[in-house]
Amino acid sequence: MHADLVGFGALVLIAGLLARAGRRINLPTVPFFMLAGILLGPGTPGPVLVAHPEDLSLLASLGLVLLLFHLGVEFPVDQVLGSGRRLFIAAGAYIGLNIGAGLLFGLALGWGGYEALVIAGALGISSSAIVTKLLIELRRLANAETPVILGIIVIEDLFLALYLALLSPVLAGAGSAGELALHIGLSFAYLVVLFAVARFGARLVGKVIDSNEDELLAILMVGLVVLVAGVSAEIGVSDAIGALMIGLVVARTPIRERVERLVLPLRDVFAAVFFLVFGLSIDVGGFGSVAVPVLLAVLVTLVTNVLAGLVAGRLFGLNQRGAANVGLTVLGRGEFSLILATLALAAGLDGRLGPFVALYVLILAVASPLLAANSRYLARVIPDRLLHGGWRYVREETMSTACTHLDRVYITESDAEACPRCVESGDDWVQLRMCLTCGAVGCCSDSVNNHAEEHYRQTGHPLIRSLEEGEDWRYCYIDGSLVREPMGAPRE
Amino acid sequence: MGSGIYVQDLPGIGKRYDVDLGSNTQRISVVVRRDGNRDLYVFAAGHDDPVAVIEMSEEQARKVGALLAGTYFTE
Repeated sequence: MHADLVGFGALVLIAGLLARAGRRINLPTVPFFMLAGILLGPGTPGPVLVAHPEDLSLLASLGLVLLLFHLGVEFPVDQVLGSGRRLFIAAGAYIGLNIGAGLLFGLALGWGGYEALVIAGALGISSSAIVTKLLIELRRLANAETPVILGIIVIEDLFLALYLALLSPVLAGAGSAGELALHIGLSFAYLVVLFAVARFGARLVGKVIDSNEDELLAILMVGLVVLVAGVSAEIGVSDAIGALMIGLVVARTPIRERVERLVLPLRDVFAAVFFLVFGLSIDVGGFGSVAVPVLLAVLVTLVTNVLAGLVAGRLFGLNQRGAANVGLTVLGRGEFSLILATLALAAGLDGRLGPFVALYVLILAVASPLLAANSRYLARVIPDRLLHGGWRYVREETMSTACTHLDRVYITESDAEACPRCVESGDDWVQLRMCLTCGAVGCCSDSVNNHAEEHYRQTGHPLIRSLEEGEDWRYCYIDGSLVREPMGAPRE
Repeated sequence: MGSGIYVQDLPGIGKRYDVDLGSNTQRISVVVRRDGNRDLYVFAAGHDDPVAVIEMSEEQARKVGALLAGTYFTE
């Protein structure tokens, strides 16, 4: 048994050091792992730490599998299913715009139809990890647009499953159209089977790998995940989707939280190796020929993201700042783009996809945190009429501290002392609220009837205030947040 | 939730609780992340962005919480 531990160890260490240096200025880690691989690999002049990347292919596959497995395990199924129609429309618009533009761009490049399909995904699907970290670092967790952003990227992950199910049979290289249709059908049937297992067989799967001891649970977990991923690859559905789906299955078992905790460090290490190995396979000589397409692709992505941000802004009544934040935060590209490039290269598609996606991810990884942090400059040039013309906006404020519906405040005082509809029906109430648009008085959400919210649902009047003594807060049902007067806003 | 506290799901991160302090010049939000960390966001009049964001581990949050609740004292 012989393994080049020196080269591999040095490479991982250097990748970690590079990524740590990048974190100092809040750059994401993924591109640095890849960069270490590119710089110290056989495709670049200078020192070569690992001359044969294929020696590391097993470790890299493990990284890919664990990456998608973890995504499945932590997928917030209930939160997604519970999210409203508006969020699905916003996410649909984001995905449609980005994937559509990516597909057209790919076709325009003329590298081939399959290549265009891969480029659509690589350009269209953002990195959940980068976006989530960015929101925490930019201290935007309390912003009103943040749930929208998180909702979009989670629905995007769901889309990833469907996209992979479509892509894998295409890449598997079916001969005739009939054969291709058969493969796609098989792929989706496999998805349905795994969904069924997630729905009805999760308990059983949980029993198979459960153990009180963390050591054994970790081993059983890795064994099961790798096996399912391998079987999936054997029947032509790709290991990636198998890993994702078994993650969704485990997410529905009682051992979910322990699995999530145990898989995290494993995922971090092996995913880093996956990014490294991807970098090792890149020949810097290839960058020259793809530089112009990459820059155009970055531009296309930027435009479609901002457009999607405006759509989300309109749907959710966000202000300029909110809409700009949506567009520029979801810009991060990383692990998924690299996974798609890996799948494409393994299937023998155009070799330019490697350097193309590598350079694209590198540029956006640096650009997206900078652009997201400076979204206020974009917000300043978004005209009011693109969002909601009739409403008055407070351009700079983050939405959670302001509300876009203040122009619908007509009445602010009332001397009512009872909820008229509760009096009618003989019910009790806890506290009183008043509609700021028409002055209707109703009972609060802790009361049995919650007439105040019912009034909002019937009339669409967004704002209420508390009528309790000593309280002067207001609440907006549409923004789902407490409201105070916009700071620095022109008041008529 | 008690009155004056509003919950918002943050898919993939956790939950956010907006706390009404009965005033329109200050407000706080608490984010409870799935990994156990907590973020305390403080807003005040006159600022577009939060005036302070305190990130705490679960352990630190417990300490602060105990102090705020008045169940912890040494003398």
